[in-house]
Amino acid sequence: MSSIKVMDVKAEIISDNDKEAAALREEVRKNKVFFVNLMASPGAGKTTTLVRTINSLKSKYRIGVMEADVDSLVDAKTIEETGAKVVQLHTGGACHMDVAMTKSGLDLLDCKDLDLVFLENVGNLVCPAEFDVGANKRVMILSVPEGDDKALKYPLMFEVSDLLLVNKIDCLEVFDFNFDALKENVSKLNKNLEIIPVSSLTGEGFDKWIDWLDKEVDSFLKDARKDR
Amino acid sequence: MKVVELHKSVTESNDRDANDLRKELKERKVCLVNLMSSPGAGKTTLLAKTVTDLKDQLKIGVIEADIASDVDAIKISNQGAKSIQVHTDGMCHMDAGMTKRGVDELGVDELDLVFLENVGNLICPAEFDTGAHKNVMILSVPEGDDKPLKYPLMFERADALLLTKMDTIKFFNFDLEKCIDQVKKLNPNINIFPVSAKTGDGMDKWEAYLKSTIF
Repeated sequence: MSSIKVMDVKAEIISDNDKEAAALREEVRKNKVFFVNLMASPGAGKTTTLVRTINSLKSKYRIGVMEADVDSLVDAKTIEETGAKVVQLHTGGACHMDVAMTKSGLDLLDCKDLDLVFLENVGNLVCPAEFDVGANKRVMILSVPEGDDKALKYPLMFEVSDLLLVNKIDCLEVFDFNFDALKENVSKLNKNLEIIPVSSLTGEGFDKWIDWLDKEVDSFLKDARKDR
Repeated sequence: MKVVELHKSVTESNDRDANDLRKELKERKVCLVNLMSSPGAGKTTLLAKTVTDLKDQLKIGVIEADIASDVDAIKISNQGAKSIQVHTDGMCHMDAGMTKRGVDELGVDELDLVFLENVGNLICPAEFDTGAHKNVMILSVPEGDDKPLKYPLMFERADALLLTKMDTIKFFNFDLEKCIDQVKKLNPNINIFPVSAKTGDGMDKWEAYLKSTIF
């Protein structure tokens, strides 16, 4: 046997991150906040989806948003117009959010007076899938113009997500997008992944997504409020 | 206290490998083009169309880099280009070492032009010089005109920008002039080609640019 020490750096980083994520999830639960990690490619419509979601639920829940971007303030400004509490996090070139960055973001946002917090992750289908940030649910957006073959190429993102929103269905007629092909590819990776087609622009299909989210938040908050 | 700047040393060693590969390929008269974009921006469709249009004039090879699957390499090979699929095994970008292995595996001696279709990602591939002679990025209309603000490094590093899916512009709130202005602020020397690989519009200018890059 070789006596050379081998360190699997990536596995260690991920395993540390997972432990910290579980701890953060527990901490956020104590604050009675439901936390959603929203992930997608650049330009899939994360911000537009958030704006419509906030407008649908803001009379019922107190909502906060952490906007994570490599650079710029454009998304945070858009979210601010909805009246939700928002902070912009600059990742300094990093291509994903990890638990430590998320924890700093949550502290900055200050969630004590919030019920529902979204992290809009960096636009990227690869790296954010590897990092549990301590959210209660991971929601992924795939937009119609990106194509129905994305599950083949970015499998991990589909495997770790709890819900898939297929956005921009208002422009289905100009793209060659096959829902059956998508469903077949997705079911091989994640049988439990529910798919909801929506248009964040027109609002088509949005009721179903809002219902899903509302039920999740509602039952979580009831449960969390029982804890003393 | 000793501090190891890991990121810096990684990129410095990559830069050395990239320069070696670039020099080697130039001596062999093979032009390497690194094609980068978001997932689903249309890299493969654009490549398939480019290969079809140019295959009688240039000998073209394609290295398809993906985390998983071989759907892209099959599509490209159907167009008659020499192609191989590289699996990055979870990695979010190609570096110079991985590219060199791809080049060696493909076998480029008889080729004029080799495309590296990088992993679909607007962030990490911008940080890693692959040894390509030209970095080309694709932004598709449905992604929106604000992308230069959010992913500036990619726009700074690119020698050419293809604005794709131009045939769908009437469906999207995409301000072409504003987008081009923002890109030029980041990178005044960038070549910008609005195209539609589906209809063929604008492809002639892009293909003329490609022909001007070969050795």
